[in-house]
Amino acid sequence: MVKLYINNKEVQVEAASTLLDAIVRAGFKVPTLCYLKDMFNEATCRVCIVELSGGRLVPSCSYPASEGLRVLTDSERVLKYRRAIVEMILASHKIKCQSCSMKGGYCQLLKLSKEFGVEGIPVCAECPLYGSECLLNLGIACLGPVTIAGCDAICTKERSPCIGCRGPASPDDVLEEGIKTFIKYKINIDEVVGISELFWGSNPLTQTIRKLFTNLHEGGRV
Amino acid sequence: MAEWTLMDRCCDKCWHTVEYPCKHFIRCTVEGPLCHESAECRVKRKRRIEELKYGKYGIKIKVPISSCTLAAGAKEVYDAVSKEVLSSGLNADITISGCMGLCYLDPWIELSKKGLPTAIYVNVKPGDVPKILKEYLSGDLSNAFALRADPEGIYKNYKVPLLNDLTLWSNQVRFVSRGCGVLNPESIEDYIISNGFRGLDKILNMHPKNVIEFVKKSGLRGRGGAGFPTWMKWEIAQSQVSDIKYFIVNADEGDPGAFMNRLLAESDPYRVIEGMIIGAYAVGASKGYIFVRAEKPLMADRLSKAVEEIRKYGLLGRNILGSGFSFDIEVILSAGAFVCGEETALISAIEGRTRPRQRPPYPATRGLWDKPTVINNVETVAHVATVFQVGVEEFTKYGTEKSKGTKMFCVTGCVSRTGAYEVPIGMSLSKLVYDLAGGPPDGKKVKAVQIGGPSGGCVPSNLLNTPVDYESLQSAGAIMGSGGVVVIDEDSCMVDVAKFFTSFTLAESCGKCFTCRVGMKLLYDILKNITEGKGSEEDLELLNELSDVIIGSSLCALGGTAPNPIKSTLRYFRDEYVAHIKDRKCPAKVCPNLVEYWIDPAKCVGCGLCVKACPTNFITGERGKPHSIDPSKCIRCSQCFITCPQGAVIKR
Ligand SMILES: Cc1cc2nc3c(=O)[nH]c(=O)nc-3n(C[C@H](O)[C@H](O)[C@H](O)COP(=O)(O)O)c2cc1C
Ligand code: SF4
Ligand code: SF4
Repeated sequence: MVKLYINNKEVQVEAASTLLDAIVRAGFKVPTLCYLKDMFNEATCRVCIVELSGGRLVPSCSYPASEGLRVLTDSERVLKYRRAIVEMILASHKIKCQSCSMKGGYCQLLKLSKEFGVEGIPVCAECPLYGSECLLNLGIACLGPVTIAGCDAICTKERSPCIGCRGPASPDDVLEEGIKTFIKYKINIDEVVGISELFWGSNPLTQTIRKLFTNLHEGGRV
Repeated sequence: MAEWTLMDRCCDKCWHTVEYPCKHFIRCTVEGPLCHESAECRVKRKRRIEELKYGKYGIKIKVPISSCTLAAGAKEVYDAVSKEVLSSGLNADITISGCMGLCYLDPWIELSKKGLPTAIYVNVKPGDVPKILKEYLSGDLSNAFALRADPEGIYKNYKVPLLNDLTLWSNQVRFVSRGCGVLNPESIEDYIISNGFRGLDKILNMHPKNVIEFVKKSGLRGRGGAGFPTWMKWEIAQSQVSDIKYFIVNADEGDPGAFMNRLLAESDPYRVIEGMIIGAYAVGASKGYIFVRAEKPLMADRLSKAVEEIRKYGLLGRNILGSGFSFDIEVILSAGAFVCGEETALISAIEGRTRPRQRPPYPATRGLWDKPTVINNVETVAHVATVFQVGVEEFTKYGTEKSKGTKMFCVTGCVSRTGAYEVPIGMSLSKLVYDLAGGPPDGKKVKAVQIGGPSGGCVPSNLLNTPVDYESLQSAGAIMGSGGVVVIDEDSCMVDVAKFFTSFTLAESCGKCFTCRVGMKLLYDILKNITEGKGSEEDLELLNELSDVIIGSSLCALGGTAPNPIKSTLRYFRDEYVAHIKDRKCPAKVCPNLVEYWIDPAKCVGCGLCVKACPTNFITGERGKPHSIDPSKCIRCSQCFITCPQGAVIKR
């Protein structure tokens, strides 16, 4: 057994444990994405970083616990870097939440993004309605595919369409995928833009949406 | 029958064999015979040593054969020398040697004759060979570049400088590189008569702990990059209990612009292996690997040949010289990714896997196949061998308080004397750049010095008095790394330089860590935008913050240092970034999108050459009258700039 300190709380774990084991034992939490217990701890996503007393940042899922180690799981630096890492992951994530099978709020990345206030994921990711139940499938102009998530999709949970109250999701690939979804379900773009003007007003993105729609539709890339 | 060599028995009284070795074998080869008294045997050995030093007939011609000299045409020179010797019926020995590190002089040859000073001729072309030989043998040395040494001070009247009189040589301390360009890298005899294997001879009678103590006294730090004390690494491995331990020499050397390991291993492979055997003895390793890049075939070849040769004479293998210590070495070819040089990735590569892994456990406790493993750089082990040969004092008298001894640096870029120089640690950068490497050619100014390989930092010219040691460089925002020094002159754009190094590390990231794989791409994209004139002011803050995140949260030192070029250029050359972003101008006029080509009507003579050169045909003008470029159509290919004989095309 080795004794170590997680956020100044003493905890004992078996010698071959990782920091993550010790953190859980001590009753704290760190987010993980790529980690899968007993299967994968190569620490590729880096979101489970914690700070050692010397200031070094290490991934808790693979770093071995050792005697006397002092670990901080949510120091200012850890939080700042973790947020940056989530941003980076989102920046390189080809976002296709509109048709992802982890819809309905199961997405771990969505949870993390919400926790750190990183935006870029559309409402669809939180929406529990699939396939034939999707409002678009019923011909209703729902703004979910192009609106920022974070509201828990309270409207679509009640089967009323998203009206974009949280603003447009801005990354290009989100918008593009959203427009493609509209086209797929044959939703009238004028209707979409009309609804969007309610909250987005003169946001230039509404024009971008229209332009994208025209491009995608007529460019034959659908 | 093959020629008798120093490694063979002198007579039947010598009872040494590889199976039943004599403890004194190494010393006996040169000082012997030791176990019996025989004037005849003594003379035999003396004569052979004489022969090795001066050649059988008193005339010796040395041609350096190493990757770098071969590229400069040394093979052709070697052939020309052989042909000339054959056709003129000259009785002379032609031998090969390694490279002495002065790349700009390649290929060179060294001539020696009894009674004459040993002379070096440089930048030799095959056609010059007959003339050089004739002149030298007749005693006319006027065309020689330098003389090797003047032990009695009698060569003054030749009016040729001694190598030691030249700043590029006198400022060096040739400690590990003492054999480079001097010894025949394919002759174990050459090594053994130059004090070779005396370190091994010494340590086999010492307790491993004392060997480590000796290294501790020398204060030697690893030359592979991080500068970790060698003794400490060895002590940790030595104290582990395990059925087998490994000793690996890291000869991957993936840094572009660094070639000191290749130079050492090609020019003096026996030294590297001797150091390796000493290290293995100290930590109790029984199996060794030398991890060499497949792209460096000559280096791998020389090392393999040396291993074979050493094994043949019983200095490697089972029960080395009757000491009870067994050790063998295998040369392994690496696939050649930059990250393979990182120690945990190197271990993975030998195991047949990929990518670095989490440390701790450090290799010294759990390395190759989970056994204690020491990994040392080529230069580190060569230092070990030399320190044991000549003693600690010779080593510790150079260097700084915290880093003892000497280090090899490869100076490239805008300097007139590109080469590998061995200098005491703590020498100032300016001395390295100016006194040794000769500074930029044609009087240009140095803008910055990039040191430490692709993830080193750029030290600006006003900080060139920074001593080259681990701590000073760190505080200047650079790293020692393996010792690659790239001199950047005023014609370079620092944003472009940062972009170049970032593109290298981006391509070489193994992709395991998100931060390194994606972060470096983001950094690169931002830099690319800036150089294309699409940057914004927030980009600078973003570059800095992103760099910190990548440095702080990547697994291995590749990601942990890769943003260094960006951070250091942001720190010292922020104004250049600002000029790109705010004024949309590249001050050094390098970034194509930010320069405008303009024809100065005062200089243009209207010859029309640029019109032909311009691929888009947007240069117009009457013959004999000043021409002009349509700036809105110009694609900035720079062809007119290159073509104009009048220098009338101007970048602005
Ligand atoms: C990306 C990367 C590349 C490296 N490449 C080399 C290399 O080519 N040669 C080398 O000796 N060390 C290299 N190193 C350093 C090794 O990890 C290790 O520190 C070194 O071999 C230890 O030897 P030393 O203690 O003798 O310096 C590299 C490190 C990193 C992070
Ligand atoms: S830091 Fe980069 S090179 Fe090193 S393990 Fe991570 S991804 Fe690979
Ligand atoms: S090549 Fe030079 S001198 Fe000739 S027309 Fe062009 S700009 Fe004028």
